[in-house]
Amino acid sequence: MPALSCKKRIWAFAIALLAVAAVIAVCKPYVLIQGLQRGGLYALIALPMALILGVVGIVNLAHGEFMMLGAYFAYWMSVSTGIDPLVAMIPTFAAFLIVGALTYYGTIKPVLKAPELNQLLVTFGLAMALTELANLLWTSRPRKLPLPYAYSSATIGHVTFGTFGFAYLAGALVLLLLLLWFLRHTRSGQAALAVGQNPRGAALVGIDVNRTYLLVFSLSVALVGAIGALFLVGHSIFPGVGSPYTLKSFCIIATAGVGNLPGILWASVGLGTAEALVSSFRGYGGWADLVFFALLIVVIMVRSYRKRVT
Amino acid sequence: MRRKVLLFAALVLGIGLLGLAEEKAPCVIKLGAVNPLGDITGDQMTKAMRLAVEEINAAGGVLGCKLELVVMDSEFNPAKAAAAIEKLITVDKVDVLIGGMSSGVHMGEIPILKKYQKVTVWAGAASHVCEEALKGCDWYFHLHPWDYLQGASEREALEAVFEKYGIKVHRMFVAYEDGAFGTISYQGWAALFKDYEVVGESFKSAAVGGGDYTAVLQHAKAENPDLFLWIGYEADALPIMEQAKAIGFEPPIFLGAPPGWPAEFGKSPLSHGVSLFAMWAPSLKEVNPVSKHFWDAYIARWHEEPVTYFAPLGYTNVYVVAQAIERAGTLDKEALIKALEETEYLSPLGEVLRFSPSNIIKHQGFKAQKLLQWQNGEQQVIYPFELATADFIYPFHFGGE
Repeated sequence: MPALSCKKRIWAFAIALLAVAAVIAVCKPYVLIQGLQRGGLYALIALPMALILGVVGIVNLAHGEFMMLGAYFAYWMSVSTGIDPLVAMIPTFAAFLIVGALTYYGTIKPVLKAPELNQLLVTFGLAMALTELANLLWTSRPRKLPLPYAYSSATIGHVTFGTFGFAYLAGALVLLLLLLWFLRHTRSGQAALAVGQNPRGAALVGIDVNRTYLLVFSLSVALVGAIGALFLVGHSIFPGVGSPYTLKSFCIIATAGVGNLPGILWASVGLGTAEALVSSFRGYGGWADLVFFALLIVVIMVRSYRKRVT
Repeated sequence: MRRKVLLFAALVLGIGLLGLAEEKAPCVIKLGAVNPLGDITGDQMTKAMRLAVEEINAAGGVLGCKLELVVMDSEFNPAKAAAAIEKLITVDKVDVLIGGMSSGVHMGEIPILKKYQKVTVWAGAASHVCEEALKGCDWYFHLHPWDYLQGASEREALEAVFEKYGIKVHRMFVAYEDGAFGTISYQGWAALFKDYEVVGESFKSAAVGGGDYTAVLQHAKAENPDLFLWIGYEADALPIMEQAKAIGFEPPIFLGAPPGWPAEFGKSPLSHGVSLFAMWAPSLKEVNPVSKHFWDAYIARWHEEPVTYFAPLGYTNVYVVAQAIERAGTLDKEALIKALEETEYLSPLGEVLRFSPSNIIKHQGFKAQKLLQWQNGEQQVIYPFELATADFIYPFHFGGE
C-alpha cells in the first residue's frame, strides 16, 4: 500500500482530530472547553520561549519569572493608576523590552559562546534572583485583581462555562500568526532564522548576529512580560507562580519539536485536553500532571524511533 | 604625703561611684521569638509584639525593668529555627521564649526547647503531632488551638448556626488541595462529620502550579451539596470563586479554609456571603475594647492594617508573659510557671485567655476558632454568638444577588 502523501497525511490527521474533538464535545463538553482554554494558556506562555529556544537556541530558565514580573508590573500599574490589566499589556511590553535588553547584555551575551550548561546555570540563577526580588518587593502574599469579566460565562444547552479562558486561546493564535509573519516576512525575522541555523554563516553574509540575539531575546522577554498582564486577570500572582510554566513550556516545545512554532499550539491544546480529560474522572485529578509528562515521553520516544528507522 | 593620700582617696571614691552607677543601670527582661519574617503572618506578628513591648515599656516596663524583644527569622526552615532557638538561649540569654508559627518548623524546634527547658509561651503550631512531642513539658504554654480543638470548635460553631437559623445540612462536598495540608485537613473534617454525607475530591493548588478548579467544581455542582468547603491556599481563594461563578455553581453554604485570605478578596463582590473559620476578625473592634485599642494602635504605629490573626496573637503573647512576670515578681522558673497558670487576659482575639489542659499538655490557651462570614467586604463574626457582629447570610448567592 503506497504511503500517504504529506498533504493527505495532514488531512487525515485533521479529520481524526476533529472526530476526537466531536466525541469529546458530545460525551464530556467541559473537557473540550477546558482543554482549549488550558491549552491556549500553555501555548501563549510557551511561544515566546519557543522563539528564543527554537529559533536562536538560547536557553532561558527564567522564562516563567519574567512572566511573573510582568504580572506584578501590570498589577502595580492597575492599582496605582486604575488602568485595566489588558490595557497595561502595552506599557508592560515596552518596559520589558528594556528589561530584556538589559538582561541580555548583563547575563546572556557573556555566556553565548559558552556550553549550554553555562546558559542554563546563569538563567537558573537569574530565575532565583527574580523570585527573591519579587518576594522582597511584594512578599509572598498572593495578589489577585477582582475583575468582573474574569468570571464571564455563557450557556449552551445545559452547559454553562467560563468564557474568559478563550482569551488565552485567541491570544495564542494571534501571537503565533504574528511570530510567523515576523520570522518569514521581515528582514529581522529572517535574520533570526539564519542565526539560529548557523550563526557563523549568518555573520559571514553580513547579518549582525549580536543585534539579532539582542532583538529576539528582548522580544521574547517583552512578550512573556505582557502575557503576564493577561495571566493576572484569571490567576493569583505570587513570587513562585512562574516557575511551573517554565517547565511546562519546555515540555511543550519538546513535544512539538524545537523550532516548530505551529506545533506549539497543537501540542498545548493536545496536552491541555489530555489533562482536562483525566481530571474529568472523579478522583483522578492528581493524575493530570502524570499524563502530561507521560505523553511528552511517548512523543519524544516515537519521534526518536522514527528518526532511527528513516 | 598629704597630697598623695588625698589623691588616693579621690581615686577610691571615683571607682566606688562608678560601681554604684553601673549597679543602677536599667535592668532588662528579654523575650526571644522565632518568627517567619519573610511571610506576612510572621511579619505582622513581630510588629504586634514590638507594639506590645513598646506599650509596656512606656507604662514603666516589667518589675521596673525594660522589656526587650529579640526576634530571629525561622525562614519556615526547621533546622534554621532550631539553631535560632539555641542562639536565643545561649548567646542572647533570653528569659522567656515566645512567638513561632508552623507545625513543621516547630517539630524542629521542640528538641532544642526540651534540651534547655526554658519557660516557653508558644504562639503558633496547630498539629497534634507537636503536642505529642511535648508530653510532660510543664514549662511549655501554648496559645494556638491544636488541630483537633479547631475541628471540634468548627463543628460546634456550624451546628449552633444551623440550629439558630433553621438550616438543614446533610451532604457536604469538600474540595481540598492535594498536598499534606489539604489531605490531612480533609481527613480530619470527614472524621469529624462522619454522621453527615461527606464527599471529597482533591485539586492542584495554584500555590504549586495548579489554578484550574473547573473539574472539581463541576463534580461538586453535580453532587448538589448543602455545604461546599474548599481547603487550599490564599492563591486559590478568588480564582475558585470566579470559576464557581462562571460555571453557575452556587451552593447554599460556601465555606473556605485557607490559612489566610488575599488582600483583595473583600473587594470582590463574589466574597459576599463566603464563610470561614478564623481566630479573629477586624470587626471584633466593635465589640471588644482591647481589640479596638490593638487595631488603632497597630495602624498608628505601623501605618498598615493587621490582616492576619497572628498579629493580635503576637500582641497577646507578649502581654500574657509580661503580666505573668509582674504577678510572679521574679523570673524564677517555678514562680513564673505558677503565675502563667493564673493568667486571665482579655485578648484582642475576643475572649479571655486562660490556660487549661488539652489532650496531652497541661497549659493550652485558646481552644476554639470562630465562624466568620465575609459581608460587604469585611469579615463579620457569626459565632460565638456573644461576640457576633452580624447575622449569618443564608443561602449563599454570588454578590448577594
